[in-house]
Amino acid sequence: MPPEAPRRGDPSRVLLDHAYLLHRRDYRETSLLLELFTLRHGRIGVIAKGARRGRQGFAAVLQPFVPLLVSWSGRGELANLNHAEAAGIGVRLQHTALFCGFYLNELLMRLLPPHDPCPELFGTYRGGLETLAAGEDLETALRSFELSLLEAIGYGLQLRVEAESGEAIRPERLYSYRIDAGPVPAGDEADAVHGMTLLALHDRRFDTSQTRTEAKRLMRRIIAHHLNGRALKSRELFRSSS
Amino acid sequence: MRQAGAIAELIEALRCLPGVGPKTAQRMTLHLLQRDRDAAGRLSEALRQALEKVGLCAQCRTLTEHSLCEYCASPGRDRSLLCIVESPAEVLAISRSTGYKGLFFVLNGRLSPLDGIGPEELGLDVLEQRLKDDGVAELILATNTTVEGEATAHYLSDMARRHGIRTTRIAHGIPFGGELEYVDGATLSHAFDGRKDF
Ligand SMILES: [Zn+2]
Repeated sequence: MPPEAPRRGDPSRVLLDHAYLLHRRDYRETSLLLELFTLRHGRIGVIAKGARRGRQGFAAVLQPFVPLLVSWSGRGELANLNHAEAAGIGVRLQHTALFCGFYLNELLMRLLPPHDPCPELFGTYRGGLETLAAGEDLETALRSFELSLLEAIGYGLQLRVEAESGEAIRPERLYSYRIDAGPVPAGDEADAVHGMTLLALHDRRFDTSQTRTEAKRLMRRIIAHHLNGRALKSRELFRSSS
Repeated sequence: MRQAGAIAELIEALRCLPGVGPKTAQRMTLHLLQRDRDAAGRLSEALRQALEKVGLCAQCRTLTEHSLCEYCASPGRDRSLLCIVESPAEVLAISRSTGYKGLFFVLNGRLSPLDGIGPEELGLDVLEQRLKDDGVAELILATNTTVEGEATAHYLSDMARRHGIRTTRIAHGIPFGGELEYVDGATLSHAFDGRKDF
């Protein structure tokens, strides 16, 4: 579709926002229903009318993990996509990195409420995809994104000081992380983690296999809590590779 | 009026066909009822028969009238080759256009976690059992080049590796007779990355 001329001052018309496609499905005869994660408007749902009819270039560009520039119009739940173009070369995610990409998208679909702009999270997402594509450090990319997402939706973690006393976290000490409060010195709780892990999460740097394992377990528990126990389907893809 | 009810019902029913909107459905309905009632009878009977007889092949899950499809039942096919496709239409396409002599397995879908379709929903345990038991030497991954098709291919290659089975992926790239200038960027970059010695 050709870009339409801007109508000045029309708040229901958005021109050329950066976006990634999270999910697409066929709608009616020739259209697509899209969930987009945009830089300036957060997660939005749009309908791409006629995208499956003839204009192959248009539908072909609407793929996950491809940086897009999109324009849409309309208020309310479902806006109309007027234009979409690739804003660069998409990352090619392979194998486990591709499964991780689905995981990021599923987290956004499930945890990020629509119409809530969070440009920092958008940056983390973009950086995360690049890290995944480079095949560098999948776990650091996942943990960084999980932390940023929780911060963006108002459930950021407290990682440097204890919940009740406000004392600094000590690397060698064991802590139990209370989701509604923060870390407290642990007794013999099974899910206790070392202070080192909390600090590693804070710095987004995981130098030992112990901090990686503990960070993964802690984040999984916290995310499960915010999902109200509903399982993430993309996790099932990892079963055979790990 | 009762008659209007039946007409409306048929129009609505025809809209289940891909590419058929309300107007086309109405045109089809009037054609069948007004001009070609014999054909309408044949259509109705053929549909009833097909629904009654056609099911999924017990081994490869393509559409067939028998418990095993013609490929799985044929003694002449190479049982060490197993080609994975997303739909029965692709079985037909590959048979028609290639000299492939092995067997197929039809996923009837693809892994798509955001649509709630994981390994279990696709019945991949059935496939895994087959890889374990059936003397497959090469698994040919012919899923589509969408991200979901790619994810499915990777998942299946992990599964095959666990059973010591070689996996291959069909090549994707420039359409035959195509000119580079007109090929979309994603296809071109895929083709470029997949270049071979020449
Ligand atoms: Zn069969």
